[in-house]
Amino acid sequence: MILYDFEYERPGSLKEATALLNETGGDAQLLAGGTDLMPNMRVEVVTPSLLVSVSGIEPAAPEKCADGSIRIDSLTKLSDLVDAELIQNELPMLAEAAHTVASNQVRVMGTLGGNLCQETRCLYYNQKHDYQFVEPCYKRGGDCCYPFPGNDRDVCWAVYMSDIAPVLIALDAKLEILGPDGTREIAMADLYTGDGMNPFTLGTAEIIQAIFVPPVPERFGWGYHKTTVRGGLDFGTAIIVIVLQLAEDGETCCWAKIVYSAVGQGPLRPTTTELSMEDAVLDPALIAVAASQEISPLPHHGFNKGFLRENIRVYTERTLVSAIECAQGKI
Amino acid sequence: MNQLRHVGKSVKRKDGPDKVTGRAVYCQDVRLPGMLTGRILRSPHPHAKIVSIDLSKAKALDGVKGVITIEDSKGIKHGFVETPRYPPDQEVLARDRVVHVGEEIAAVAAIDDITAQAALELIDIEYEILPPVFNPHKAMQEGSPEIHPSHPKVAEKESFSNIGGKTESGWGDVEQGFAEADYVREDRYESHLRTHGYLEPQVTVAHWESDKLNVWTSSMGAFNKRAKLAKVLDLPYSSVRVHKAYVGGAFGGKIDLYSHEFCAARLSMLTGRPVRFVASREEIFSAYRHGQPLVVELKTGVKKDGTLVAQELRIINNAGAYRGSGVVVVFLAWGFTMAPYRVPNLKYEGYSVYTNHTTRAPQRGHGCPQVRFAIESQLDTIAEEIGIDPIEIRLRNARVPDEELPNKDNVHQAGLQECIKIAAKKTNLVAKYGRDRKSPPQDTSIRRGVGIGISSYMSGTLIYPNGSGVIVKMNDDGSAIVLTGAIDLGQGAETVITQIIAEELSLDMDDIKIIASDTDTTPQDIGAWISGLTYVTGNAARQAATNARAKLLIVAAEQMNVTADDLYLDNKEIISQSNPDNRLSYREVIAASVANHRGDTVIGEGFWRTMRDEPNHPSLATTKGRWTENYAFSAQTAEVEVDIETGEARLAKALTVHDCGFPINPGLVKGQIDGQVSMALGHAFMEEVMTKDGYTLNTSWLDYRMPTIHNMAESEDADVITEQYEVGQSYRTKEVGEGLVSGILAAIANAIYDATGVRLYSTPFSPEKILKGLRELERHQK
Repeated sequence: MILYDFEYERPGSLKEATALLNETGGDAQLLAGGTDLMPNMRVEVVTPSLLVSVSGIEPAAPEKCADGSIRIDSLTKLSDLVDAELIQNELPMLAEAAHTVASNQVRVMGTLGGNLCQETRCLYYNQKHDYQFVEPCYKRGGDCCYPFPGNDRDVCWAVYMSDIAPVLIALDAKLEILGPDGTREIAMADLYTGDGMNPFTLGTAEIIQAIFVPPVPERFGWGYHKTTVRGGLDFGTAIIVIVLQLAEDGETCCWAKIVYSAVGQGPLRPTTTELSMEDAVLDPALIAVAASQEISPLPHHGFNKGFLRENIRVYTERTLVSAIECAQGKI
Repeated sequence: MNQLRHVGKSVKRKDGPDKVTGRAVYCQDVRLPGMLTGRILRSPHPHAKIVSIDLSKAKALDGVKGVITIEDSKGIKHGFVETPRYPPDQEVLARDRVVHVGEEIAAVAAIDDITAQAALELIDIEYEILPPVFNPHKAMQEGSPEIHPSHPKVAEKESFSNIGGKTESGWGDVEQGFAEADYVREDRYESHLRTHGYLEPQVTVAHWESDKLNVWTSSMGAFNKRAKLAKVLDLPYSSVRVHKAYVGGAFGGKIDLYSHEFCAARLSMLTGRPVRFVASREEIFSAYRHGQPLVVELKTGVKKDGTLVAQELRIINNAGAYRGSGVVVVFLAWGFTMAPYRVPNLKYEGYSVYTNHTTRAPQRGHGCPQVRFAIESQLDTIAEEIGIDPIEIRLRNARVPDEELPNKDNVHQAGLQECIKIAAKKTNLVAKYGRDRKSPPQDTSIRRGVGIGISSYMSGTLIYPNGSGVIVKMNDDGSAIVLTGAIDLGQGAETVITQIIAEELSLDMDDIKIIASDTDTTPQDIGAWISGLTYVTGNAARQAATNARAKLLIVAAEQMNVTADDLYLDNKEIISQSNPDNRLSYREVIAASVANHRGDTVIGEGFWRTMRDEPNHPSLATTKGRWTENYAFSAQTAEVEVDIETGEARLAKALTVHDCGFPINPGLVKGQIDGQVSMALGHAFMEEVMTKDGYTLNTSWLDYRMPTIHNMAESEDADVITEQYEVGQSYRTKEVGEGLVSGILAAIANAIYDATGVRLYSTPFSPEKILKGLRELERHQK
């Protein structure tokens, strides 16, 4: 139950929505599927005075643009993303990642834009602070960090847990951002600040309008893995995305990208390891060791760093094997 | 002639249509005109003195109709246990001091939730913080912060702090036993904090009207709730009516009186309006009662052939802030230890230790899973050390029919030996055991293992209100109305009672309507929380039907000019065996009864109490006295798969072979088995209430991970039938609703060992622990 009063508007277009957000300032929140915002309002992580609902705006179906890239409306429901034939055929990794989100009940409500802009999570932060953890933490405007009391002031190690963001980063997606002054385009990776206190680079009245995913090259391979405790419903313990392109010999890697989610303040990439994969015949076991050592997974939701690193190592190797086999046309 | 038409059949549930169509009324559906919303102010500290409370601002807020603290109560205490040794220990709201985070301090009734919440925020409380203690071993140390003084009987002999109660028992001479043993082993096992996971939250609606308190509350037994509410409100039982409502799961978590129930009642009495409290899921996770994590220190001695000669247990229960059921679980842990295997020399000590955690409740199995996990794990270790297989060591020690236990209980037709044999055969356990450890597969990181665990559970005991009554009222047309205090919380009580009455009176299921669980209109009932409802209330129902049947036969014999023993009942007719054309319908017989027996409309009464010769429950302190007259037995096997690179493990298949005496409704029995397998796998792999400094970290369904349907393992079961049901005779059914979490939990631990060689000494069986175990084994091998 949300135990305070707030205003609610339901504009007919994103333009009106951004205007409303702009008028109200930081106290307003965009409401899409609500699957992230509503629980957070319930525990009063956020207490907006105005909700600007976009439920009256019908998203356009995913479509292929003239340059071969695919345009996906940010209001696309995750269940529609899973089911869209175009996505299944052209971007199967995206469909798979979207399918791992929560449960069907959540996916029919949750939108792609909302999934990318979900708040970071922490067992302490996502609590109602009426008699539990009464003092607010740094991220809630206070003066402490409950799980990591030794952290520097205003450092928040809540983790960013999107299942889909690492896929779009790996695919070099671009975001079309609508603001009060019109639209701008950014690379998917530039949506994130890497700072858990303020994870997104969006301005207060800015809305992701569309996501553009460029076509993948020949001999492209991908692998996706989400570790969870119980499969369905769960956020990831660790999420691993690997994409790569093989040379014509079917052995040499031209380039590769590894993106991790759920283990950092934003998506993480082991860039040095990625560089070592360029124009090389890959040894998945060695790369997995290097990548898992290069990043520093944040402990979260009861999982300690050592366990996460080991889980990431094992699944980086397995995911890489699978990406290579995919590029070789074996799967 | 024992051809049963209803009993022993998987007839459909009486409550099924209401539940699947959404017509079923749960407490949350009860809406009364003018109803107020109640909310509770809770302690933000694990341990603090309350210096002052200022309610003035809250009371002055528009829309607030009532605000109460302990000062608005009569100061009458209550407790889960209320005996001379363990008198009531809990106030209905905190007085002067709080001893756990979330403890109830004040309550508000207001016109809506937002106003109620605003009022809570206007209550000013000044606290003086006191040092808390959360670890039971630390709490026991002399000089640790005192939550409550140690029980005087314990303090006479021992200097431990914070001991809420202790159970001491044993027989034989353990020193001698260990001296005679060929092999002795000592281990320590720990279990973790889990919660019930009832889907329906705690809800209470109370309405004080015309000097009568009407209550709808989510519970496991209306009569226990009435007794406790009436007591703390200082009202006669006749002034408190607990109404029936459907219950959306309880699993032990809705037995005792909760503060919100008192608050709803008291606020309704003060405001004259109905008041409703609904606990949020966050409140349930952070402030309500969970199960009980036990530390089990276990020493066992065996002969070379595996015969148990001595066992010594020391159990430490992290029992939370009040006595709760903490002292019960340390008693029960003794029972779950001694029931399945013969142990000629036993020494048992169980301590219930106060800590600044929330108070504890029973949770399905009430100590049995924790104890069986320890004993069954160690038994496998011992079997391996002395070179016999897991089945042989169990068969060597398992109870046989008609054995008398040291507490003078008798196991009667115990089917344990057969359960073990069938489980072993169906799983092919001995052949499979050790396979992946001896020759690990080379092409995969998956290792398979198999394990067994056994358990025994009591089937009803003597706890207030001790007995159940049932009334069968025949209608003029031959159909029947049944009045029973039994509560159906999903286990199928109403269905089973209807089956029994249909059988005894030769009625169709649809001829019978049940009025249940209403303290004003139905007879008293033991409630659905001591594993005895089908046995105790079921026998009361059978007797009530027999009583009605006897009346019908007397009248019919008169009308038909035959003796009653020539008559039989069939499909609402009474028929002469010697002349089947001589028959009367129930309608005719009842009309004749009214006409010729001064208006007797044929009402049958039945009552039942388990252990009729025993005055009361055995001593919680010494275990003296009889515990139960029906022991259920089971052997369960688990087949698991473990990924030795990631440590991830899953239950692939569960087998439950059990002796529940006689299944009145095999479909409902199967439902109980599958539910318990699912609960055990949650216990084993997923669920944990995580706390830090008395605060709960995971207060949502998202972060407290109960298994979903996708996690459910294949669950096979087999009955070992040891009892029979005969019309007109009392019968013996055995527990099936909570004992089966235990064997399977132990079996999973043993199967993980079998797959990997990693012996786990604590639950849950997380990938971290399994990986750690694998690394240690690797180091050992190098």
